[in-house]
Amino acid sequence: MKASWKLFGGLSVFYVLMTVIYWQVGGEEVGIAGMLLSACLAGMVGFYVWFTQKRIGVTLPEDNLTAEISDGAGELGFYSPHSWWPLPVAMSACVFALGLVIGWWLSLIGLGALVISIIGMVTEYEKPETVSAH
Amino acid sequence: MTTYAEKPTMTAGRPAPTPKGRSFVKWITSTDHKTIGYLYLMTSFAWFLIGGVLALALRAELARPGMQFVSNEQYNQIFTMHGTIMLLMFATPLFVGFANVIMPLQIGAADVAFPRLNMLSYWLYFFGSIMAFGGFLSPGGAASFGWTVYAPLSNAQYSPGIGSDLWLIGLAISGVGTILGGVNFITTIFTMRAPGMTMFRMSIFSWNVLLTAILVLLAFPPLAAALLGLEADRLYGTHLFDPANGGVMLFQHLFWFFGHPEVYILALPFFGIATEILPVFSRKPIFGYLGLIAATIAISALSVSVWAHHMFASGQVLLPFFSFMTFLIGVPTGVKFFNWIGTMWRGHVTFETPMLWVMGFLITFLFGGLTGIILASPPLDFAVSASYFVVAHFHYVLFGTVVFAMFGGFYFWWPKMTGRMLNETLGKIHFWTLFFGFHLTFLIQHWLGIKGFPRRYADYLPTDGFTFMNTVSTIGSFLLALSMIPFAINIWITRKAPLVGVDDPWGYGSSLEWATSCPPPRHNFLSMPRISSERPAFDLHYPHVKTEGHN
Amino acid sequence: MSRRNRLTRLSRLKPLLPLAPLALLTGCSKVSGLGFEEGVTSVNDQSLSLWQGAWIAAGVVGVFTLILIVWPAIFHRGKKDDPSFPKQTQYNVPVEVAYTVIPFIIVAVLFYYTAQKQTIITEKTTTYAHEITVEGIQWSWQFGYPEAGPKAVVTGTPEQTPTLVVPLGERVRYTLTANDVVHGFWIPAFMIQMQNLPGVTNYLEFTANKLGEFPGRCNILCGRNHSQMLFTVKVVTPAEYDAYLETIKGGQA
Repeated sequence: MKASWKLFGGLSVFYVLMTVIYWQVGGEEVGIAGMLLSACLAGMVGFYVWFTQKRIGVTLPEDNLTAEISDGAGELGFYSPHSWWPLPVAMSACVFALGLVIGWWLSLIGLGALVISIIGMVTEYEKPETVSAH
Repeated sequence: MTTYAEKPTMTAGRPAPTPKGRSFVKWITSTDHKTIGYLYLMTSFAWFLIGGVLALALRAELARPGMQFVSNEQYNQIFTMHGTIMLLMFATPLFVGFANVIMPLQIGAADVAFPRLNMLSYWLYFFGSIMAFGGFLSPGGAASFGWTVYAPLSNAQYSPGIGSDLWLIGLAISGVGTILGGVNFITTIFTMRAPGMTMFRMSIFSWNVLLTAILVLLAFPPLAAALLGLEADRLYGTHLFDPANGGVMLFQHLFWFFGHPEVYILALPFFGIATEILPVFSRKPIFGYLGLIAATIAISALSVSVWAHHMFASGQVLLPFFSFMTFLIGVPTGVKFFNWIGTMWRGHVTFETPMLWVMGFLITFLFGGLTGIILASPPLDFAVSASYFVVAHFHYVLFGTVVFAMFGGFYFWWPKMTGRMLNETLGKIHFWTLFFGFHLTFLIQHWLGIKGFPRRYADYLPTDGFTFMNTVSTIGSFLLALSMIPFAINIWITRKAPLVGVDDPWGYGSSLEWATSCPPPRHNFLSMPRISSERPAFDLHYPHVKTEGHN
Repeated sequence: MSRRNRLTRLSRLKPLLPLAPLALLTGCSKVSGLGFEEGVTSVNDQSLSLWQGAWIAAGVVGVFTLILIVWPAIFHRGKKDDPSFPKQTQYNVPVEVAYTVIPFIIVAVLFYYTAQKQTIITEKTTTYAHEITVEGIQWSWQFGYPEAGPKAVVTGTPEQTPTLVVPLGERVRYTLTANDVVHGFWIPAFMIQMQNLPGVTNYLEFTANKLGEFPGRCNILCGRNHSQMLFTVKVVTPAEYDAYLETIKGGQA
């Protein structure tokens, strides 16, 4: 992960530098704000990756120059096999946005559908583990 | 359902054909990055054709003086939608498509980090784009303020009509999809690489996907802010972009703060595609791998600080700062050229179709990049900005990069995606027709701009002296359009071609996607070779060939 | 002739290639201006040499790089069924450093002249001889001549495009404004343009040095009749200019 946080950290430092230079040579608010916020975003991601790497402590298999494929053997994780939920989430977002133009009643419908479908998507795989007895 | 290595379930004899309905459901509920990638590729290609038809309408109108086919207002709608479609509904989603199909394979992942979010991004793009295009069906027509949507032309007073609102919200929705895609790609590359796939063994295409995704995160939120702020002005009477509040320059800064990184979002992935193709058909590794990565990082960093070179003629920006940064960003771009040349140099170069496309890209982008250096100088920009010189420049860099590398990527990865090869002869006809058509259309536009023809003009006078050049350009555009026919024929006649059966039909693939079957299984790898360099598939197939270098 | 001999002989010609674009300069002055003319305005005096120099540099770099691209395509071809591999060179640090440093030097030189010239072109003085106001309106231009009084304003229409009358050899300050949308004040032959921004006043100063009529066009999209927002710049002698001011003192003729 070292390369990852160094990349974001480096970008963040560069953007801070650019913000200061632009400000000092007489730049304007949008550019200063934009570059500063870019620095913050890059810095935030870089910090998170650095912090996570520190917590993990060890070198992960993907960062190990002499790793074997078997180092990553075992469960890779849960991959959703297929899902209907992305479609209604997207459609409700569009209905909500369309309502801004057509009428607030449509936005209200869209908002309701959006909330329901986001909840549906997030909880799709959170089924309680039922063991035998009813 | 947890995932271990899948056992292939082969049954003897041909499997029963899947009913069309079940196939359709499988596609629209997919969480497989490859399927989602194919959806992106097909949808963005469809938009490319639609945007192309709009371009033909523009060129047909401009061939002779006088308005023969459309009115002034319709012309403005057509070029607005042409630009919007090509940049935001074709080229940007095309990057997402290629990244989706190829990047997880190249890093040895089983899928992306957030498969359902991936599909959500696609649907947001799909419906958002349709909404924006839907303006054509409204009484006032589609948005007509140019894809740059400058205030106050784009406000409710000067662009009334729901078409403009649909454009703004459609793009805002689609933009959210792109941002989510950026999050997905960065997370995937950071957390799902295979053992031994260190960052500095990752393929250049995947590196470029990472850096492009970072630019997406930095650029699309300011765009969303500008679009939604403008929409608030239009719908709710706010005064964010009111000229009295300095709104005119505010809008330009916000837009171009997005707009410049956007053109690198469009360029970098396709530079990556070219970088994947060159070593395979030169039988040599990429020349200067680390230098290429450094150059791409430099471009990503600098692209956030050059935006106002699109605003030199406004008289309101710091000319020295922005021209200096713009000249500076030309250096890493130039460096990449020499990396690409160095890859071919003293190789065993062969010209299968993908390599032909990369040649086309190199030659075209070279010219476009040089005219960019001209435009980076404000005194020279004052002479030709907002003229057809700029139109020529950006078509050379964008079309030269995106379209040439796209077709290169299609021909190159077709067997990986479909299991079958495209026809080489038709591919060559496709390339040469497109190459000549493109240059016939756009080369003369440099001169047209120098002679004083502004961009976004629907018409000109017979006495202006622009007629001959416009007619030539129009003829070129129709030749360019015709080049799509051999491609369509190619796809059709090879749909039942023999399956390639091997992992690497081209023979000299370096990156990991060439170490799995064509097409890959559902979660990409049944077995994976040891990764000990940036050429894992090449090391697997040719373990006796060692790399060399000179310090 | 063996391949090696042919290559050696051809490669000896390479050093001459950068000189090829110089052939362009031997053409007539119109060609060597590469689309623009010398001495038309004080802006051309600055920009034209930079334009020519930049194109020469671009030409040299472009031809050189193009040759490098096409060279392997012709001379480093491999045979399809050849099982051998070329030398698998992955890096060459001196070469990589060179092709980073040299482009940097080229852009540094371009930037030096750019910075010098743009300072002169965008200079705002207090010693300009005349002021002309330029207001962009949907979809024509309004030129005001404050020296001739507040009524001396000429307004054009798309059907009857206005003429901007300018004195020869005397520095003029143009005050650019707009009340509706953004417009672009562009005179191609003068190698100059600047935007008319609502809510902002822009200033542009230059001296016209050649008599004649030159087309001007709005080049920032401003709505339906953007393509018809044309004007003509007429450069006249100072005496004719004074005479013109007299005629519009009471308003447009």
